[in-house]
Amino acid sequence: MIDAYRAALMNRRNFLGRAGSGLSGIALSELLSSQGLLANALIDPLQPNARREPEFDPPAKRVIMVFCSGALSQLETFDYKPELVKRSGQPLPTMAKGFKSFQGENGNLAAPQFEFRPRGDCGKMTSDLLPEIGKLVDEFCFIHSLTSKTNTHGPGENFMSTGFTLDGFPSMGAWATYALGSESENLPGFVALPDPRGVPQSSVNNWGPGFLPAVFQGTPFNMQKQIGNLQSPKGVGKETDEAARQYLKFLNQRHQDQFPGDTELAARIASYELAARMQLSVPEVTDLSKEPASLKKLYGADSRDPVKAGFAKNCMLARKLVEDGVRFVQVFNGAYAMGEGVGNWDGHRALKKQYGIHGAILDQPVAALIRDLKSRGLFDDTLFAFVTEFGRMPTFQKGASGRDHNPDGFTVFLAGAGVKAPMSYGATDEFGHRAVDKVVTMHDFHATLLHLLGLNHENLTFYHNGIERRLTDVHGHVLSDLLI
Amino acid sequence: MNSEIRLLVPAFVGCALVAEAWSKPDPNHWSFHEVAERSVPDLGEENGIDGFLLQRLKEEGLSFSKRAEPENLLRRIFLDLTGLPPTPDEINSFEKSWKEDTSEAYESAVERLLVSPRYGERWGQHWLDAVRFAETHGFEVNTPRPNAWPYRDYVIRAFNEDLPYDQFVFEQLAGDTVSKDAATGFLVTAAALLQGQVGKDDESIKRARQDELNEIVINTSATFLGLTVHCARCHDHKFDAISQKDYHRMQAIFGGVRYGNRPFRDDSEKREEEIRSLDMRIALVEQRLKKMGVRLPVSPLLNTERFAPISARYLRFTIRKTNGVEPCIDELEVWSSGEKSTNVALASNGVVASSSGDYHDPSKHRLEYINDGKYGNGRSWIASETRGGWVILDFGKPILIDRVTWGRDRKGVYKDRLPIDYVIEVAADKDAWREVAGSKGRLMSLDPSKLEGPQRSAVLDHQSLSEARRRLDGKKMIFGGVFQKPPPMHLLNRGDVTQPKEEVPPGIPEVFGSLEMSSATSDVDRRKGLARWIASPKNPLTARVMVNRVWHLHFGTGLVNTPSDFGGMGGKPSHPGLLDWLAVRFVKDGWSIKNLHRLILSSKAYQQSGRPNSLGMEKDAHNRLLWRFQPRRLEAEAIRDSILQVSGSLDLKMGGPGFSFFKPNTNYVRVYDAKEEFGPLEWRRMIYGHRVRMEQDGVFGAFDRPDAGLICSKRTQSTTPLQSLNLFNSHFVEQQSEIFSKRLVAEAGGKVNGQIVLAFQYCFGRVPTAEEVSKGVDFVNQHGLPQFCRVLFNTNEFLFLP
Repeated sequence: MIDAYRAALMNRRNFLGRAGSGLSGIALSELLSSQGLLANALIDPLQPNARREPEFDPPAKRVIMVFCSGALSQLETFDYKPELVKRSGQPLPTMAKGFKSFQGENGNLAAPQFEFRPRGDCGKMTSDLLPEIGKLVDEFCFIHSLTSKTNTHGPGENFMSTGFTLDGFPSMGAWATYALGSESENLPGFVALPDPRGVPQSSVNNWGPGFLPAVFQGTPFNMQKQIGNLQSPKGVGKETDEAARQYLKFLNQRHQDQFPGDTELAARIASYELAARMQLSVPEVTDLSKEPASLKKLYGADSRDPVKAGFAKNCMLARKLVEDGVRFVQVFNGAYAMGEGVGNWDGHRALKKQYGIHGAILDQPVAALIRDLKSRGLFDDTLFAFVTEFGRMPTFQKGASGRDHNPDGFTVFLAGAGVKAPMSYGATDEFGHRAVDKVVTMHDFHATLLHLLGLNHENLTFYHNGIERRLTDVHGHVLSDLLI
Repeated sequence: MNSEIRLLVPAFVGCALVAEAWSKPDPNHWSFHEVAERSVPDLGEENGIDGFLLQRLKEEGLSFSKRAEPENLLRRIFLDLTGLPPTPDEINSFEKSWKEDTSEAYESAVERLLVSPRYGERWGQHWLDAVRFAETHGFEVNTPRPNAWPYRDYVIRAFNEDLPYDQFVFEQLAGDTVSKDAATGFLVTAAALLQGQVGKDDESIKRARQDELNEIVINTSATFLGLTVHCARCHDHKFDAISQKDYHRMQAIFGGVRYGNRPFRDDSEKREEEIRSLDMRIALVEQRLKKMGVRLPVSPLLNTERFAPISARYLRFTIRKTNGVEPCIDELEVWSSGEKSTNVALASNGVVASSSGDYHDPSKHRLEYINDGKYGNGRSWIASETRGGWVILDFGKPILIDRVTWGRDRKGVYKDRLPIDYVIEVAADKDAWREVAGSKGRLMSLDPSKLEGPQRSAVLDHQSLSEARRRLDGKKMIFGGVFQKPPPMHLLNRGDVTQPKEEVPPGIPEVFGSLEMSSATSDVDRRKGLARWIASPKNPLTARVMVNRVWHLHFGTGLVNTPSDFGGMGGKPSHPGLLDWLAVRFVKDGWSIKNLHRLILSSKAYQQSGRPNSLGMEKDAHNRLLWRFQPRRLEAEAIRDSILQVSGSLDLKMGGPGFSFFKPNTNYVRVYDAKEEFGPLEWRRMIYGHRVRMEQDGVFGAFDRPDAGLICSKRTQSTTPLQSLNLFNSHFVEQQSEIFSKRLVAEAGGKVNGQIVLAFQYCFGRVPTAEEVSKGVDFVNQHGLPQFCRVLFNTNEFLFLP
């Protein structure tokens, strides 16, 4: 049974892929819906971001993903390994002495740089690096056995965000909005909130459209930097702006009369209306002045550290965005430009010191975001994901007090809509080096995410250069053990 | 199964591939057969293209639309061939000759455009898309590839000179063998991990190399052959008769190619000229600044102090203040005056340096390093005191000098310890010092946003020029691949570098025959052999793929609607006979792309109106059968270039390193912050903008400009609110609207009516209707002419190929 259903999805691609050009695929779409194959899956060129039905009824309506850029160590956070404490200072027995990883030779095993203690009702061991997040462990579904297939940051972030290590593939937020559109009429369907310190390692790849139509790309902005060209040019008043829009509409309408039924021309007229609405709605959603002081305090938005306060405000913004119907929000913690480990989680040399700084920035705001979502009832149908591109070595690098890259086993967690909690899935070996139990690939992780949004990862496709592309390439299994 | 699916798919909506896709890989796939001679259906059409098309149209009860109005036709060929709209003068003279003889007028306009250098700039971009050319390395560092641009210029030149396509193919694969070094930029257009980015472990190194080779296979097979050979990297191709072994054979052809720079032999004169011209322009800007009483802030990298020629035995450099702690100077150079100016400060010439006191740690910083001719922090001088210090050079005899150059770190790493308050004096003897230069008048910051008026524009100019100049520094190199003896290549089980299997000699997919190569074949012979096979008239794919690319770009959809995939997953040709007929003509015509344009543009199909009609919409909404010309939105480049041309700002200078869309950045990793403001130096055609992978220009990038990550044979066409915001609100459009309004006043005089009529001619190539004028006059009277221009730049009519 490849079948008719599969073929229909391919046709859907043909329709979607050409949604911009002329009166695309009308005959086709009618045909398909009459077959009952494609009832609600059409993209309206006039409103490409309009809400679309998933394939099946999903627990999650939207996603917030916190992405810790630079490779957050599983060993300093959630992957507790007593053996690592015990044998700290000894060689890693499973590897040859002086074995090489990304940056070169490795030294001996090193105990976690932060104390672990049991937290929550479930008593899950987590470290003192992230105590506030730790208090919420009962809500989390940890995956301790995620693996990547690269130990380089750029390809690693590409892999986490797009399912491919190479540049140029659509990000998962783009896939999600391509499939589902948005619930908001006035905001982009997919928003990326870079860290106050700058963009993550693979920058726009994390929220790019790849070969999907550009309308599904993530729009990057945050509390520190607005959307470009959102405001009218300096010195142009409201009245002039409005008159300019009216005259533009008049000219476009006249032009459109010569091309009756051309949806692309009509879509362009409509896009000016959405742009005008965004000029109002974006400043509104980024205005935190009406948020109560107590809430700002909960998030840490009142912090004296401008980076922490900035990140906290971005977390508040994330909540406001999903509240307003944005489908996919990616919140980044960590920036590339400041250098190795200085502004991100890439702790090669002085891990304890650097993580101490970054932990304080990350912990309270993220914990507050989860609490805030819960208190508003948003947690029930929001999927919350906490991720990083890969993990770190159980050893210190030779001659340094930090850990090298390790793609063979690391920890992420899911929470909120549709996932079991408290839960710890899969495991690394006794040193936290390699995933050994219920090994999870990135494709499995992505398949699960899409599943939680009501999408079958094998059916969500787009034809590009000879291949029906998917977020999950040709791999991936839904991790059904994690699902409620 | 197939018949069941066919039921779902109307015959000509372009989905015929569905049925095909699920059949087994077919060695007899249509595109693998040699191109056949086809006879044109005899329907009395002059142009064979129209014969083939009309036959299919008639079968569906359709026909061509009437010829487009002359103004639309002119606008269409201008935008299509050059990416720029016609000027009012060109429109007037065209309309005149149209009245005399329509065919003659049209044909001579086409000819004029085909010889215009603007043509290569437009069609070169299409090629660069297909090979995802960019001038950065991609991935997280995304650092510049400063020697990549000569390939861009090569492509533009190839199109302008109508280089026969078979030769174009050959040069891109093996141009190094025929003194066309820039051409092999083709091999290495893709992103690649830099050395430091690849893990030190063996597996990572091998995997990175495999990725590099894979990109070369993609470029070659998809661009020239329309084959997705790379799909067989890990397993036999699912849809085409290409085995995993075939893939590795192709890969082995490039086994000797590495990503990197090599000395560049064929462009040196142009480059020298570029350097001279840039140096002169920088000096002019510095003079401009000097006249305003402004000097650029001290640069840690390099400062040039010019003064009137003066005879000096001694030179004293006194530092009064730094940007923190003890001052550092990396190489103090003093230049003799006159034509053969040399650095007269070198210790090797017997010049003796003395100082106020030297840094306590002599491992990297010593007095003798100040004039040792070696650059970098590790060979520099630091004074002993935080508050400042001095250095004296004794030349031994009086010398006529006119300039001093110095820096803090000539390698550009360190920026601390920078002298910011200093004076340079000379003397015949040590008692009579005369000040010749110093920090007086230097700006403290180069942030243009803190400046105004002419100062600001001069600083912006200086930044752009210096950036272009820096990219010409160093040896003449081309990022065109480095060629080595190929190592043995192996089949990799499931594409996994840790599981090498048997050795694979270089070759092509078996279904096409053999190239008679072995593992002993040299790198050059491998590439030449492949190039000859691809560029052979017998190759079933090469000509078909190229004529289809050209067709796709003229009509918006290819005869095969997947221009880089002619395999089982690709589209089936809508008109197989026409495709072959064109391919045969193309080869017979000496592989001339310009002749192919002539043929297509002279067809009725191309010249028909773009207006829809209900019968056509009902039977073939996708217009695969071409019952009308397909209007479509212009690409990012054409929109930007058109705005600049209409406003009169466009600088038509061709070639060279180009300009940047991003703010200058000195961080150790590149941070690409899109410029919000542009000046005349950046008002060149967009193809000359430094092409950064992944990152986009802040205004026009949103118009589906590909990110140069993957190959792009067909741009997506989306409509987004960000596009609208950018065109409606950006400083770029605001500024050009202002400039355009001034042009209108200058050319049309003070009457608003006349201004509006002229504006319509510039923007849309037509005169406005009475209603458009009267509403326009009201608008201009209330809100001003620049606002009116802003509106025109945002209209659908301006943004669409009619």
